[in-house]
Amino acid sequence: MSEKFGVKVEEIFDTMQERFRPEGAQGVDASFGYDITGRGKWRLTVKDGAMTIARAEDLGDCVVVTRADPDTFVGVNIGKVDGTEAFTTGKISVEGDMGALGKTFKLFKRFTPPKKEPTVREYILDMFGTLTARFQPQAAGDSKLVICYDIGGKDGGRWTAVIEHGTCTLSEGLASSPSLTLAMKAKDWVDLMLGRVDALTLLSTARAKLEGDMQLAMRLGELFAKYTPPGQEAVQDEELLVLKKVVSVGQKFATGPVMGKFLNGLKEKKIYANRCPVCKRLQLPPREVCAVCRVRVEEFVEVGPKGNVRLLDTAYYASPDPLTGETRETPYAMAYILLDGCKGQEAFAHFIRNDQLDRIEMGWNEKKGTIVRPVWAEERKGKVTDIRYFEIDE
Amino acid sequence: MGTRKKHRNVGVIGVGQTKHSSHREDVNQPEMVHEAVREALDDAGITLNDVDCIVHGNMELFEMIHQPDLWHALGTGAPGKSAFRLTTGGTTGATLFCAADNLVASGMYDVVMAIGFEKLQEGHTTGGITNMADPLWFRSLQTGALTGTCAYDVIQEFGEERAKKAAMIYRIIMDQHACLNPKAHRAFGLEFDQMDHLIRSSARLIGELKIIDMCSQSDGACAVILACEEKAKRAAQKPVWVRDHITVHREETFNILGYDQATEEEKTHKVAARELFKRNGITNPLEYFDVFEMYDPSSWWGLDWLRDFFQLEGDEHLRLVEDREISRTGKMPINPSGGVIASNPIGATALVRPAEAALQVRGNAGPHQIPRPVNHALASGFGGTMWTVLMMLEKELDWQEA
Amino acid sequence: MKEGFDTSNCFTIQGKLALPYSYFAGRVGSRFLVRIRDEKKIMGTRCNRCAKVYLPPRQTCDVCTEDIRDNWVDVANEGEVTNFTVVRYRDRHLPKDPPYILAVIRLDGADTSLVHVVEGVSPDRVRTGLRVRAVFAEQTTNTLLDIDHFEPV
Repeated sequence: MSEKFGVKVEEIFDTMQERFRPEGAQGVDASFGYDITGRGKWRLTVKDGAMTIARAEDLGDCVVVTRADPDTFVGVNIGKVDGTEAFTTGKISVEGDMGALGKTFKLFKRFTPPKKEPTVREYILDMFGTLTARFQPQAAGDSKLVICYDIGGKDGGRWTAVIEHGTCTLSEGLASSPSLTLAMKAKDWVDLMLGRVDALTLLSTARAKLEGDMQLAMRLGELFAKYTPPGQEAVQDEELLVLKKVVSVGQKFATGPVMGKFLNGLKEKKIYANRCPVCKRLQLPPREVCAVCRVRVEEFVEVGPKGNVRLLDTAYYASPDPLTGETRETPYAMAYILLDGCKGQEAFAHFIRNDQLDRIEMGWNEKKGTIVRPVWAEERKGKVTDIRYFEIDE
Repeated sequence: MGTRKKHRNVGVIGVGQTKHSSHREDVNQPEMVHEAVREALDDAGITLNDVDCIVHGNMELFEMIHQPDLWHALGTGAPGKSAFRLTTGGTTGATLFCAADNLVASGMYDVVMAIGFEKLQEGHTTGGITNMADPLWFRSLQTGALTGTCAYDVIQEFGEERAKKAAMIYRIIMDQHACLNPKAHRAFGLEFDQMDHLIRSSARLIGELKIIDMCSQSDGACAVILACEEKAKRAAQKPVWVRDHITVHREETFNILGYDQATEEEKTHKVAARELFKRNGITNPLEYFDVFEMYDPSSWWGLDWLRDFFQLEGDEHLRLVEDREISRTGKMPINPSGGVIASNPIGATALVRPAEAALQVRGNAGPHQIPRPVNHALASGFGGTMWTVLMMLEKELDWQEA
Repeated sequence: MKEGFDTSNCFTIQGKLALPYSYFAGRVGSRFLVRIRDEKKIMGTRCNRCAKVYLPPRQTCDVCTEDIRDNWVDVANEGEVTNFTVVRYRDRHLPKDPPYILAVIRLDGADTSLVHVVEGVSPDRVRTGLRVRAVFAEQTTNTLLDIDHFEPV
């Protein structure tokens, strides 16, 4: 016995009383019969603005009897099947006073199926079952992407999605070298997909784990269309418009003579600081005025090129460079380096070579950190990136 | 620094905030601002007609709207009034508060409304911060607002296990406070028995700064109405008096941190606290204040700065946290609102600090009210490269010499 | 500038700022634009206390700060030019190629004016008082340009 629309025939009859519209019963005084194939017979009696509904054996006293199969009957009642078409094609047959049948249409408010919540397992199967259908190829780009879903718990499972050449295929199991792995319990995945919890909350409280390409993780919302639960009428929430714009502005910055000298120095592989005549402190990069003494600084001093690392700030999460749209490979590190000739707080900030991060020791008070030297770009243009990074001096 | 003398006293008479959130597609910017404005006006029992001047601010260009105060006039009520726009990075909210205080104290305006807002969902935080960096060299190098240097310092000084535990206790207490604050954005419901799990499993962002330690990015607005003594005393609720405030900024680069204790350095928080308390005759801030709404962008900074703000030594600040004295019912409640880690609509955040402190003094902050009389409150703002604003609020006017 | 200021080290660095932003229309703004886009109807919100119809619609009345977000009223597609200017330069941020007329238009039924482009009349013939009507766009963009322009009636 199929329940095509997720609604039982009995529910239509059981809810007639609560859906009843007395104003539609004015002048109606009769019994109406319903014979639903394989399910049984019901009699609806309307009199004096009130109604009764009950199963019946014999519909002989009914002014009209409607016959239909369960799916058609339910379908017409919830508005999914066109009643006229069903009648024309014989899926509904009517015996008796057709005019009387017409009166029943005004008797009830339309039946709306109550939302029956699927189980976590049902959601999981449906979410992954519809994954490839929800794939948005226009957001994919050229590179091959392998995404592993490690959904834990008895309702969970393991899947791998492979995106390549504009298509997405899903298989069971976890691939060995994925671009990205998402791991969390099944219930959390379901709540995330249904919008009941947001990703940041799950990540912050360590209920979800992401490993691999973080940029890809942020694009998942574009790569796959939003999940809508099965059978549920897409609740027509008011459409809220969002205008998305990439605002692009060209800019020019004058260096002035002080920064100009510093940047030009980089072209010659020289690093310049300048020294305050009063407190003798170095400023690196050089500044026109000493920030402490507020006097003009004229004396330039060449420092480095080598130095010792005082502090290493290792980033595991990279935000895309808004100027280029590119993202640095993680982990990467910004270091504060005390170049030869500098002391105390006169540190210089720059990158450390990515593959040497775990060998860097930070200095502390008198103890010197790892000695590093700058690696210069082949072509230098008077930019701080004329130094590509610092590497261990060995 | 010179001593200050106000021409007249200034009181906080109204506070309004939106519920900070990351899902405000239902309002545009002026409409969101108006929610806070409306609440503040109702709180003060006044209308826009009673306001002489609007002071507006947010992070410069974070939503890529130039001079948003003009568009926001639709929601701020500024048309026909004097209006100022201020933007000072993360300290914006505090600067708005201080500026409003100065404007009323000067005698030029009787009632000033300070409005801070941010709609980070619409904007681009990294882009905004990149824009702040020196375009001639640091823009190519900087990593945005994240740094692991503070965690490194604390771990160096106190050892990894103790430091990480203390930072996590701080974090959990802040979250417990947020769970009581109906306006807070993020309230996870963390428990102390999750501590080890969180320390081990929360993903690292940079250095030992984990995602759980870091403040949220929120959409929200805050409005605070300040009035001169005469009008404040006639307002709907008892005014909270603004006693004093100080602003201390440093050089523009970040690398003047305490990672090398051999070199003498003056952290802004230390300087701000020292100068402010000295000129107000406060020798024991831990005893004097009843609450501190501190701008804590991460649990590491929150933990670390307690020492500088309260002029403590050694590990006294760690013990304050370990003994749970910073909780709402403890000896020195910190951020009963949940603080910046729970809600961070940046342009409003530093204004929410004195706003929440004022609510605590008034005694009707809501479910997160401290269950003791609050007579003396401290609030701080933070921004950029170690800029600090410190503000003092009082229940009674009795601090003044006769 | 000082005498003999050494500019030998002065030069200029090129930069660019290209960042993605989002602007929320909000509930009121969205409803306004969606009606234009889908039904080709222009609607404003009315403050019953001040008897004032705002176009574009507002959530709050400017004058009395009453919440008017549910007081939707129809506004005609036609109205009068109350002021105008002619844009004569090209810029990629402008909606049309020069020369084009940017006009302040008071639509029938609204108490505030809309700024929009007027086409179908030459720049030297446009005048205040000209009656114009909305011409809706074929291709919509979820912006006010879903009214493509106004033309003389």
